[in-house]
Amino acid sequence: MTDVRTPQSKPAQSPAEGTGEVTGPFGPNGTDATESGGGGTSVPLDASAGWLRWGWRQLTSMRTALILLFLLALGAIPGSILPQQGTDPASVQQYYASHPALAPWLNRLGLFNVFATPWFAAIYLLLFASLIGCVVPRTFKLVGAARTPPPRAPRNLKRLPHSTTYDSALPPDAAASAAAGILGAHRFRLRRPAAGDSGQWVSAEKGYLREVGNLLFHLSLVGILVSIALGGLFGYKADKLLVQGTSFADTVSALDETHFGRFATGSDLAPFRMTLDNFSASYITSGQNEGQPSSFKASVTYSATPGGPSRQGVIEVNHPLSVDSVKVYLIGHGYAPVFKVTGPGGTLAYEQATPFIPANTATMLSDGVVKAPNANLGFMGVFVPTAISDNGTLESVFPAANFPVVSLIGYSGNLGMNSGLSQSVYQLDTTGMTKVNGSPHVMLPGQTWTLPDGKGSITFVGVQQWVSLAITYDPGQVPALVFGILALAGLLLSFFIRRRRVFVRAVPAASGAGSIVTIGGLTRTDASGGFEEEFAELAFEIASTGTAPPGAAAPVAPAAVTAGDDNPEPDNQSETGA
Amino acid sequence: MFKAKRRTVVAVAAVAVVLLAGALAVTLTTGSGAQAGVSYLNGNPAERVYTAGDRPLAPDFTGTSLTGAPIKLASYRGKIVVLNFWGSWCPPCRDEGPTLAVLAEQYAPKGVAFLGDDVADTPANALDFTRSVGITYPSLSDPGYLIVQDFSQVVPVNDTPTTVVIDRTGHIAGMVLGKVSYATMVTLLSDAAVTR
Repeated sequence: MTDVRTPQSKPAQSPAEGTGEVTGPFGPNGTDATESGGGGTSVPLDASAGWLRWGWRQLTSMRTALILLFLLALGAIPGSILPQQGTDPASVQQYYASHPALAPWLNRLGLFNVFATPWFAAIYLLLFASLIGCVVPRTFKLVGAARTPPPRAPRNLKRLPHSTTYDSALPPDAAASAAAGILGAHRFRLRRPAAGDSGQWVSAEKGYLREVGNLLFHLSLVGILVSIALGGLFGYKADKLLVQGTSFADTVSALDETHFGRFATGSDLAPFRMTLDNFSASYITSGQNEGQPSSFKASVTYSATPGGPSRQGVIEVNHPLSVDSVKVYLIGHGYAPVFKVTGPGGTLAYEQATPFIPANTATMLSDGVVKAPNANLGFMGVFVPTAISDNGTLESVFPAANFPVVSLIGYSGNLGMNSGLSQSVYQLDTTGMTKVNGSPHVMLPGQTWTLPDGKGSITFVGVQQWVSLAITYDPGQVPALVFGILALAGLLLSFFIRRRRVFVRAVPAASGAGSIVTIGGLTRTDASGGFEEEFAELAFEIASTGTAPPGAAAPVAPAAVTAGDDNPEPDNQSETGA
Repeated sequence: MFKAKRRTVVAVAAVAVVLLAGALAVTLTTGSGAQAGVSYLNGNPAERVYTAGDRPLAPDFTGTSLTGAPIKLASYRGKIVVLNFWGSWCPPCRDEGPTLAVLAEQYAPKGVAFLGDDVADTPANALDFTRSVGITYPSLSDPGYLIVQDFSQVVPVNDTPTTVVIDRTGHIAGMVLGKVSYATMVTLLSDAAVTR
C-alpha cells in the first residue's frame, strides 16, 4: 500500500535531486513521487523483465492493496455466514442435510473452510507482499529524504501559494541569516547557498514526522499481519469439558478438541493440571429478564506444572485465567445428571456423572445418552432443570436446576462399542438395539427404574454441573495489540502533520541601504489546515528582525500577518496559486 | 535510471526473502522425520521401537487402582511392564481388551507385568468391562489423564488407546499408538527383553 495521497505527476527528466529549483510543489525531491506510479523511463532489456517489473509495480500500488483488502473482507463473509468445518463441524453436516444440491458445490469452493482455502491464502499473501513491496522501498526513500537537504529557494517566491514581501533595514546577507535563525529556532531544516552561489536565500523544510508516521503505519500493518501469522503458526486452541469435582491434565488425549498452529504440536501444550471445585450460575429470578443469566463463576484449583504448587483461581465469562502464557476461558456450561445402571444379574455396569448437551440455552433443556455396553443397555435422555408438565409434555421453565427431572427412553441390545470403530459419547447407535419402553420414562432424583424382563435398572442419582473451557495460546496477541496502537499513532501523525517549506530571498533594496525580503511558503497537503496561520506568524517574526532593530520605531507588520490577527487591514494579502 | 535500478534491486530482494521464508517453512514442516533411536515396525509410524541405549526413561508414577490399591511403577523394576492407556467408553480399547487379556496371561510367567491406565472413566464402568473380557491385571484410576500427561512429555501419548512397553530398567522400549495386535505385541516384548 502506498501513500494515502494523490500521486503527483512527475516530469520524466527531473533535474538532479536536491539541486534543481522547485518546478512544482515538492517536485524534484525524492519523497513525493509515489513509489509505484512514478518511475524510470528506462526501456526494459527484454519484455519479460519489463512485465515482471510492471507486475511488481501493480502489486505494490495502493489501488491493488485496497482491492486486496476489499477481497479479504469479501472472502471472510462466507466464513461468517456459512458454518465452518474447523469450528462447527456438526452445523456443516446439518447444512449438507438441508441443502444436498448446493452443499457439495460450496464445499468444492472451500466455503466450509474458508480460512484454510488456497484462494483465501492467496489474497492475504498477496496483500502481505503488496504491503512489504510498498514499505521496503519507502523506507529507503525516507532515509534518502532525511539525508537530502531542502531544495534551493525558487527564483520567484511570489509564485508560491503563500508569499509576502517586506523591506528590511538589514543588508541581504544579514536579513537572510536572521530569517534562517528564526526558522532554525522553529526546528525547520535549513539550506543556505553554498560557497560560490549567487544570491542570499534560505530554504527550510519541516514535517518529516509525517513520513515517519506514514511509514510507522505501514510497518505496523505488516507487524499486525506478522503477529497474526505468528499466532496462527505457533499458537493453539483446545476445548475441554470438565465436570464439577473432576480434574484434568492439559495433554492432547485429555482434550476434547484441539486446533494446533502449523508449527505447534501436542508437546507445546502447557503442562498444567486443573480441578473444577465448583461452578455456580445465577439467573435473574423475576421481571422482564427472568431466566437470563446474571453470572457464571467457575472456581478451580490448578498447578502450572505437574507437582508444582497448587493455586486457587476463578474463571468467569470474559475473565480468563492465565496459566503461564496460556489463557483458560469459560465458554459454556451444562448439566451432568449422575446415573447408576445395573445389568441383568444386578451387577453394577455404569456409574457416572454424564454430561448432557443443552438443546435450548434459555431453559437449559439438555440431551444426552447413557451407555452401559456390558449390560447391553443404552438410554437416550432429556434433562429438564425446572420441569413443568404441559399437557403431558415436559417443559423447562427456568435454566437453574430447581426441579430437575430426566426423561429416558431405554434400549437393549448391542451398542456396537466393541467393533473398534470410534463413536461419539453423545450419541447412541441403536441399529443393533430394541426399544424397552414406548413412551419416555420420567424420573426424579433418587428414583430407580427397573426395566422389564430382568434386563436391569437405572437410577437417577443426582445432578452435577459441567463447564466447557477453551484453552488458548496466541503468541501474536500482545504484538498485534502493540502494532495496532503503533499503526494508529502513525496514522494520526500522518494526518495531523504536514510537510511544509518556507523560502526566504533577500535582494539589495533599490535605495542601496537595507534589502527587500520575499518569503514564500508551500505545503503539499493541508488536510488539517493551519499552514496559512503558521506562515503568517513565521513571516511576522522574520520581518520583525529586519524592521525593528533595537531602539527603532515599532515594526510595521507585513500584510500577510493579518491572517488570524486582529489587524483590520487585509490588503496586500499574499497571492495564492502559481 | 538510477532509481529504477534500485527499485528492481529492492523487488528482487523482496522476492528472494519471500522464497527463502517459503523454503524455511517447507523445511520446518517436513523435517519431522523419525528421531534418532526410533524405528517403525513394518514402516508403520504408529508402532515404534526404541533402540536399546536410546530408550527414554519412563516417568515414575504412583497411583491408585480401580479397586483402591496403591500402584507404583518403581516397584515393577526388574520386570517388563506393558502399560495400556484405555477407557471403557472407547471402542478401540474395548476391541483390543481381549487381546491384552490373553497376552497378560501368556507372558506372566516370563516376567512381564501388564498395567492399565483408565482415563476419563469411573471404576464402576471400567471394572464391568475388565470382568467381561477377563482382564485380571490392575488398572490405575486416572480420570484426569495425569499419568498420560507425564508420559506425553517423553513419548507421543496423544490418543486413547496407546500402549507403552517398558523394559526391565524402566526405559521405554516400544509403543503402539492406537489399537494393538497380538503379533505387534509379541515383537515389541521380545525386543524389550534386550537391554544394554
